[in-house]
Amino acid sequence: MKLKTFAAVLATNAALITSAGAFDLDPALPTYKSVSGISGQLKSIGSDTLNNEMTLWAEGFKAKYPNVKIEIEGKGSSTAPPALVEGTSQFGPMSRPMKAKEIEAFEKKYGYKPSSFQVAIDALAVYVNKDNPLKCLTLQQVDGIFSKSRKGGLNKDITTWGDVGLTGEWAAKPISLYGRNSASGTYGYFKEVALFEGDYKDQVKEQPGSSAVVQGVASDKFAIGYSGIGYKTADVRAVPLAVKAGDKCYDTSAENAYSGNYPIARFLYIYVNRNPNQPLDPLRAEFIKYALSKQGQTDTIKGGYYPITNSLRLENLKALGISAN
Amino acid sequence: MDNVTTDQAAIRPIDAPSAVVRRSPATALSARGEPFMWALGAALTIGIVMVIGFLLFVFWNGLVTFIPKPVAVVTLRSGAMVAGEPTRPELYRLSPDAIKALPPAEAAKVAVNGGYGHRTLYRIGNYDLYNEDFRWVSDHDVDKIDYPEEMVFIERLEWGVFVGRIRSVKIGDRDLANPTPKDPALVAAHKEARARWQTIRRIERDLIGRVNHDLEVLRLDVRRAEIKHGPASTQAEKARLAEAAQIPSLKSEYDRLTGEAVRLNSIAQLNTVTLADVTGKEKVLPLSSLVRFYPANNLSFFDKVSIYLSRWGEFLSAEPREANTEGGVLPAIFGTVAMTLLMVLVVAPMGVITALYLREYAKQGRLVSIVRISVNNLAGVPSIVYGVFGLGFFAYGIGAHIDDLFFPERLPAPTFGTGGILWSALTLALLTVPVVIVATEEALSAVPRSMREGSLACGASKWQTIKNIVLPRAMPGIMTGIILAMARGAGEVAPLMLVGVVKLAPTLPFDGYFPFVHLERSFMHLGFHIYDVGFQSRNSEAGKPMVFVTTCLLIAVITFLNLAAIVIRSRLKRQFAGNQF
Repeated sequence: MKLKTFAAVLATNAALITSAGAFDLDPALPTYKSVSGISGQLKSIGSDTLNNEMTLWAEGFKAKYPNVKIEIEGKGSSTAPPALVEGTSQFGPMSRPMKAKEIEAFEKKYGYKPSSFQVAIDALAVYVNKDNPLKCLTLQQVDGIFSKSRKGGLNKDITTWGDVGLTGEWAAKPISLYGRNSASGTYGYFKEVALFEGDYKDQVKEQPGSSAVVQGVASDKFAIGYSGIGYKTADVRAVPLAVKAGDKCYDTSAENAYSGNYPIARFLYIYVNRNPNQPLDPLRAEFIKYALSKQGQTDTIKGGYYPITNSLRLENLKALGISAN
Repeated sequence: MDNVTTDQAAIRPIDAPSAVVRRSPATALSARGEPFMWALGAALTIGIVMVIGFLLFVFWNGLVTFIPKPVAVVTLRSGAMVAGEPTRPELYRLSPDAIKALPPAEAAKVAVNGGYGHRTLYRIGNYDLYNEDFRWVSDHDVDKIDYPEEMVFIERLEWGVFVGRIRSVKIGDRDLANPTPKDPALVAAHKEARARWQTIRRIERDLIGRVNHDLEVLRLDVRRAEIKHGPASTQAEKARLAEAAQIPSLKSEYDRLTGEAVRLNSIAQLNTVTLADVTGKEKVLPLSSLVRFYPANNLSFFDKVSIYLSRWGEFLSAEPREANTEGGVLPAIFGTVAMTLLMVLVVAPMGVITALYLREYAKQGRLVSIVRISVNNLAGVPSIVYGVFGLGFFAYGIGAHIDDLFFPERLPAPTFGTGGILWSALTLALLTVPVVIVATEEALSAVPRSMREGSLACGASKWQTIKNIVLPRAMPGIMTGIILAMARGAGEVAPLMLVGVVKLAPTLPFDGYFPFVHLERSFMHLGFHIYDVGFQSRNSEAGKPMVFVTTCLLIAVITFLNLAAIVIRSRLKRQFAGNQF
């Protein structure tokens, strides 16, 4: 499902990047060139995963167009669709695709579907404390750790570190769970892909931000949590994941995220309200072009995510009706 | 006469020992009130210790953040090198695999310590090269630690800090090889580069900003005329002509300014610095992109003080950079103060007028009691509820109507129909108004009845009495209420997150463009900044000290606002001291 679409989209781009190192930009991405007469106001409301990215792009864009005003608000992906529908924001960054219900609410008001484009790739990481010797987890084990319904097919609940094969002082220690609050797209995406649409355990300590999850895991030796790879610190370690028992484990490196081998890599999106019969206004079009340019994607790396490729950029621009030059 | 009897009563037990014998020791103790006195004393002590402990904790952590630290170069047994500021050490239990990998001497040391070892967190910087900012180094892997004099700590405009050496500097067509950071030629060139950078920013921001603003005003004029009179009307035609007449001159001004900025930028690109990290990886940067650099291991006391002060200066007077993790917090300070003052402007008259009516005019009865109870209960409503109310009522309700009526030319982009500093101030005013009402009522009731009666007896009307006798005397009490309201309002974050505080506000609510005060704009707030840096920033390790610094600052700002109010209050008090009938 989601995994396959992700892999399929990237398969076309894979050839370009196989040799690329962790943080090399696709050399084909063009440098952004400013045009004259861009001014006005933009407001973005949405994902907190993309909050730092949006801020970095806004800073870069403002350096090109000093009189553009951009306000960034990031309280969670679920806040993006209502803001777009109400017209209070022009951009809705989201760390998951919109749900059918959200698209329906938008369509009801405007008569057309919202448009979206991919701005970055995130390897959603499962973090453990830096001292945790855990080598690998399968998705079923992750499901067993975080979910009470265990739709992944594991037949017994995982509550202690011994249940995932750790020995010594770890074996008897209960696993302490950290996660995001339900307004977050990370929460929704993790539920869909790692929990197979199951329900979270009640013991999961829901945190208000991606960085708060990492801090929780950093200060709690027996903790596990999930958050974007961009929030990694020296105090936590991202566990390599395998799709099922017996499969090879893949870590959160850029290559594994691009190839789709890492099982919970995802696209990060920005949604816009675009009437398909009209061109986008120049202000928003230029911002989109900037975010997808070489400078914008350098900011993506700066924010801790993986950049998109040029072919993906061209596809996005085409879908939005923006000329690539 | 009365006094004499009580005195005698108090003395009697001492004179009559039989009375003491009849009492149990516990009664005597409690009768003298000593256990209560001790309990009160203990409670006070606990309170003071907690407050002072908290303040010391915050201020200690906040004040040491900007002190420049030495840069260690750690050579590991494997031959790898790590350079960075040692941040914090930690005791940890080594895994059996890790112990096995150690040389026998080190393994024995670990065994003596019961399986525990030390490790240190280094701030290695160079995120663009390493893809991490901090690294743990186990003491057992260390071969040696040096503090070479030529190591430089560099704060950059982008990518955070750089730790390494300066290889060479290119100033125009001059080359400096291996300059020390204190090389006068380098320092002068850097100063010049920064000045040039400031000029470029001023051109781009203020001068080009002015042109763009004028263009936008013309565009909006046309659009307003089109909406009001129809696109084909004479008014719209006139607006279009006015726009067309002014555009060429603005365009040429725009081109002239951008040309100047491009010229300065090209000069800036000629002055570059080549940096090398500890392993020799090189990085070329324009000189103007270095904010500050210093030889971390070769600083005199005076150097350290000046770096410390210059960091505070930047923090207080600059705008944030790199998604709020670096740079300053000036917009947040400004937003906090402006919003609080705006709130006081609203809450003071509202609260005082309500209390005046309730206390002086309203007939004391069931209705007034209900109103009073409601006001007191209002103080107990969770603040986030006010936020939801503010968003729904002010922003989406009133604001959307204001937009429809007065700013149709800007739609669909909302003007007042979204969170802003005005709506935030009004929401907080609602939140804090009970405090002012209660304090004012108390202050009014404390004005002696004799004074009112005296005034009325002299022939003054009720309003004249209130205005000239009651209100001035109640003023210090009212000020106390306002001070409490201000302190509560300035520290509140939860409702603001819904009604106008944003992570990055591009412009202040006050600027040089007509009408100068823009109450519809979103703003930044120190309280939200703390939340954002602490829980939302990518690099939470680097964010932690900034949380403390910002908290210090928020406490200082609130203290300053309160002090100002207290000074005003004591002036008022002095004015009426000894002025009684």
